[in-house]
Amino acid sequence: MTVKNWQIKRDMAYPYEEHRPRKQWAIVFDLNKCIACQTCTLACKTTWTSARGQEYMFWNNVETKPYGGYPLAWDLRVLERLGRQDWAKNGTYGGKTIFESAPANERALHWAPSDEDWMYPNVGEDDCAGGSVGAGGAAFTTMPHDKWFFYLPRTCAHCTYPACLAACPRKAIYKREQDGIVLIDQSRCKGYGECVRACPYKKSMYNPYTRVSEKCVGCYPAVEQGIQPQCVVNCIGKIRIMGFISPPWAARDDNPVDYLVHKKGLALPYYPQLGLEPNIYYIPPMHADRAYLAQMFGPQAEGAIARYRELAKDPVAQGLMVLMGSTDRIIHSFKVEKGEATGFNEAGAELTRVPVTEPVVERAAWDEGASATRHNTP
Amino acid sequence: MSLRNVLIFSALASTAALAQQPLSIPLVKADLSKPDAAAAVWGSAPAALNVMLMGQPMITPRPETTSTAEVKVQAVHDGTRVAFLLTWKDPEVSEAGPLGKFSDAVAIQFPVKESDVPPPVMMGAKDLPVHIFHWRAQYQRDAERGKPTPKDLYPNLNVDMYPMEFKDMGALPAKGDAERDPYSPGRATGNPQAYAKSGVDEIIAEGFSTSSVQEGHGSLAKGTWANGEWRVVIVRPLKSEGGNVLAPGGKTFLGFAVWQGGQGEVGSRKCVTMMWTPAELGK
Ligand code: SF4
Ligand code: SF4
Ligand code: SF4
Repeated sequence: MTVKNWQIKRDMAYPYEEHRPRKQWAIVFDLNKCIACQTCTLACKTTWTSARGQEYMFWNNVETKPYGGYPLAWDLRVLERLGRQDWAKNGTYGGKTIFESAPANERALHWAPSDEDWMYPNVGEDDCAGGSVGAGGAAFTTMPHDKWFFYLPRTCAHCTYPACLAACPRKAIYKREQDGIVLIDQSRCKGYGECVRACPYKKSMYNPYTRVSEKCVGCYPAVEQGIQPQCVVNCIGKIRIMGFISPPWAARDDNPVDYLVHKKGLALPYYPQLGLEPNIYYIPPMHADRAYLAQMFGPQAEGAIARYRELAKDPVAQGLMVLMGSTDRIIHSFKVEKGEATGFNEAGAELTRVPVTEPVVERAAWDEGASATRHNTP
Repeated sequence: MSLRNVLIFSALASTAALAQQPLSIPLVKADLSKPDAAAAVWGSAPAALNVMLMGQPMITPRPETTSTAEVKVQAVHDGTRVAFLLTWKDPEVSEAGPLGKFSDAVAIQFPVKESDVPPPVMMGAKDLPVHIFHWRAQYQRDAERGKPTPKDLYPNLNVDMYPMEFKDMGALPAKGDAERDPYSPGRATGNPQAYAKSGVDEIIAEGFSTSSVQEGHGSLAKGTWANGEWRVVIVRPLKSEGGNVLAPGGKTFLGFAVWQGGQGEVGSRKCVTMMWTPAELGK
């Protein structure tokens, strides 16, 4: 079948017909702000994966790029199999996706992770990549940094063209019409592990106790009630916002996700060249190596960073950024006016209202009344 | 259908003259209530029929090669039960367990509806269901040594606690599977995979990706492996409600599939018969 993939700006081959859900679940992450506290990981783990057979299972994980990966080197291993591929000058992907380069006996180009690959959730946690310290000046005075790393939080991307779903010979994986969440039918899965092999992001995992594969459920019980996922609402850095993304031809300027992805071009899908149209979007980290970012986020990475650095000139985008992490509800639309950003639910009712810039109060270091020195420790 | 498959089918059509020999299933006086590959009845039964298998060629994912080219089949019945002895070469025992480890397995397939023209041999088709008896080494392990716990599979596994299961339950009443299963979605949804098995599954299918496990209808199986060979006996009642029904003096068709777990075979990665084997029951 031929389907339209807007992220690579062209049609591509996929085992099933194009079928876009009524709404599509999506998370935007600002990678400039993630501190790898792993609160998201634990929020997911305590909610969903605390039972037998899930001991080493993290549906949400945070890894330090370039070296960390859960499972080990998941990204390098699929890129290596794909071989060198290029984007055309006009932003169209000229290379092959994992579906288009599938061997004759398979539904996608893939590799099977082993148990050992899952056992080190973040190898290289504290390791930088980059040039030599002796190159002159401090590594942090140049942009992008001479030495660099960044944290990459990841959930299932509830892809428009999921490889997990494509690969399942039992058709036990389905994508929901109402929100685009991709689920493994726990009653029909037979644990063949085809999805574990096929998902290039390695977000389908095997439970050896139930002998069934499992994956991030997008916190659908919360989403059904208009509440954002656990890994989003518990994010300490307030780097995340979950909402519903429209395809670019139906984008709405007042939809937070559409605004960040389509209108401003600030947030980008990761490894779009694999062809899945993944629905987690990242604002690229501006201090990291640009060639690496171009490989991960495609040719738009440079422009996204340039626009991010101009954020101070755009009060609407700034307002939207402060709405991230300001409510546990799903924001369907937002507006920014008179120095305030407001988020609304699907019915148009106000969910939250925040000042775009927090008021600053300066207090003297010495507190006369208490005869004490003030300090910032609460 | 890919060109490759079209070629395979035309090749098969032109070799129709080489159609599979029929299997004769004599009526015997023997105790077939316990599956036993070493039972004397197999020595006196008609010689084994060699049935050709090939790497499943129809749907992806497919096996790269044909790992099992042949399964030997003997069968007898006692008027109420029919027993099959299936033998094939496999260099090692594979019982699955951890991620990426798969089980040795074998399956026999019967058409559900009685007809001179059997349904498509690849797991039937819509309204042309097939009845499958599927033995897995993994499930036999469950029956013989218990369903493995994560600790059995990963002896060095370390875990602080599981939900509803604390080292010191204090004043809390002890909790059982009913309270714990909601945390294990495979079990909570009643997936047969997630529970200890007897060794053989009965499955009804109407084409690829439609199979569903049925409640047991009294079939039994037992496999033994020695010297690079599996010998598996599957016993089933002649009659079965909603499934294939056999009768002394009657005819049926048989299909076979073999999985070598050690070769990474699972699901559609299997070796199968490309045509039905006709069978006749003695009376
Ligand atoms: S909780 Fe937020 S800041 Fe912390 S690691 Fe997760 S995504 Fe990053
Ligand atoms: S990220 Fe992987 S598991 Fe999630 S929908 Fe996409 S292919 Fe499936
Ligand atoms: S959306 Fe829910 S299930 Fe998915 S990673 Fe986040 S917390 Fe876990």
